[in-house]
Amino acid sequence: MVKEIERAGLPVVHICTVTPISMTVGANRIVPAIAIPHPLGNPALDLEGEKHIRRCIVETALKALETEVDDQTIFDVKY
Amino acid sequence: MKLELGNIIINDIQFTNEGSKVENGVLTVNPEQIKSLVLEDSNIESCEVFIARPGESVRITPVKDVIEPRVKVEGPGGIFPGWIAKVDTVGSGRTNVLKGAAVVTTGKIVGFQEGIIDMTGPGADYTPFSKTYNLVVKMEPVEGLKQHDHEYALRIAGFKVACFLGELGRAVTPDEIETFEFDNLVESAKKYPDLPRVAYVQMLQSQGLLHDTYVYGVDAKRTLTTIINPLETMDGAIVSGNCVSSCDKNPTYVHLNNKVIRELFKAHGKTLNFVGHIITNENVYLADKERSSNWSAKLAEYLGCDGVIISQEGFGNPDTDLIMNTKKIEAKGIKTVIITDEYAGRDGKSQSLADADPSANAVVTGGNANQVIVLPPMETVYGHLHFVDTIAGGSANNIDAHGNITVEIQAITGATNETGFHNLSAR
Repeated sequence: MVKEIERAGLPVVHICTVTPISMTVGANRIVPAIAIPHPLGNPALDLEGEKHIRRCIVETALKALETEVDDQTIFDVKY
Repeated sequence: MKLELGNIIINDIQFTNEGSKVENGVLTVNPEQIKSLVLEDSNIESCEVFIARPGESVRITPVKDVIEPRVKVEGPGGIFPGWIAKVDTVGSGRTNVLKGAAVVTTGKIVGFQEGIIDMTGPGADYTPFSKTYNLVVKMEPVEGLKQHDHEYALRIAGFKVACFLGELGRAVTPDEIETFEFDNLVESAKKYPDLPRVAYVQMLQSQGLLHDTYVYGVDAKRTLTTIINPLETMDGAIVSGNCVSSCDKNPTYVHLNNKVIRELFKAHGKTLNFVGHIITNENVYLADKERSSNWSAKLAEYLGCDGVIISQEGFGNPDTDLIMNTKKIEAKGIKTVIITDEYAGRDGKSQSLADADPSANAVVTGGNANQVIVLPPMETVYGHLHFVDTIAGGSANNIDAHGNITVEIQAITGATNETGFHNLSAR
């Protein structure tokens, strides 16, 4: 999906846990997620904590979307 | 360290109203004894016991675990350390085995209802457990039991029954005794200085509820990659808590009879020097995957390996663990052979693994788990057939008017096993 949407001319950020697979399949902008069963959440945290990490991930993804890249790039999230 | 396995060959299972026993190759079981043992756990509401013999028109589903009955007759430790026995180190002395018999646990399972064993017909060819004499233990939990407690109750009940049956073989003279010896690194290097040094890297499924494996009672997802004596594995140190997409998950029976370990022992001192067994996990966090594969490579290097065999458990994101292990071990100058299976689509045309790397250039496959098979109806079903359309490999309305079930072989217990346990081949 990432590649097809990019082929249509729209930049894509792939948020995923297993970033090596994202690299293998050819995503250009990659943001690491939390874990495979809960990519955008963390059941160990309270609701406030979850909201915080989710905001960090989304803001990193938005930043990645407007960043020029020459090669496949992983944008680490700062929590 | 030296381990003797005393195999008592079992040719049949029978029920009795009297005491359970093993005599002349027949395992005779009083089902009431099994039921009262299982119902000691107040989390289990009901228990039924059945016999499934090879060739009978019987289907067992969903399958929670398959366990080989055993008893420790000499030496330290006991069966299933950390669960049934205390955590003393196993892998030495003598263990008697009811060879040919198995305990198969079934009943409503937490969440997904997985795993089919057909004792006859085309499905029987796809599961190694159509060839064992199976004591089927069907259990239902008390209402409202939490998922993790439910899984735990079923798992422990299976071990208890297997140990109860194994105990019947304590005083029986085994039909054959297999002896395995594993030297320490210095001794084996002295004995076989010219043979290539080969280790086994075993990946253990460790992704959460119904996807977990345990080592001496420890949840594998909470472990760092470590070295275990292969004799410990052969003597019950590793047990299964997983059965989802059952084609490539290792029931406890498979850990006890790991074929990679057995083949390495066969070749040991002849074509290679079997120097160690590394166990690593397949966790759901990327950092865990990185850390565990770093440690696999570090320990393979520490053992001075020339080559390693890596076996995977499961598929999907563990393909990344597999490729990380391979890349990092190869980067140390150590040759690898990987054992995996494939999810190449029903037509076999899709990419087989979710991850790949040029260094993974020696691959043994257990087959394509998406391959479709039609299973004809059986006269008897032990367990719950009505879950068959919701299991992995099943689909909506996949039972036709004649009772034929169309499923992918990923629904069949052990069909594409990644430790070489199953011997179905394309030849």
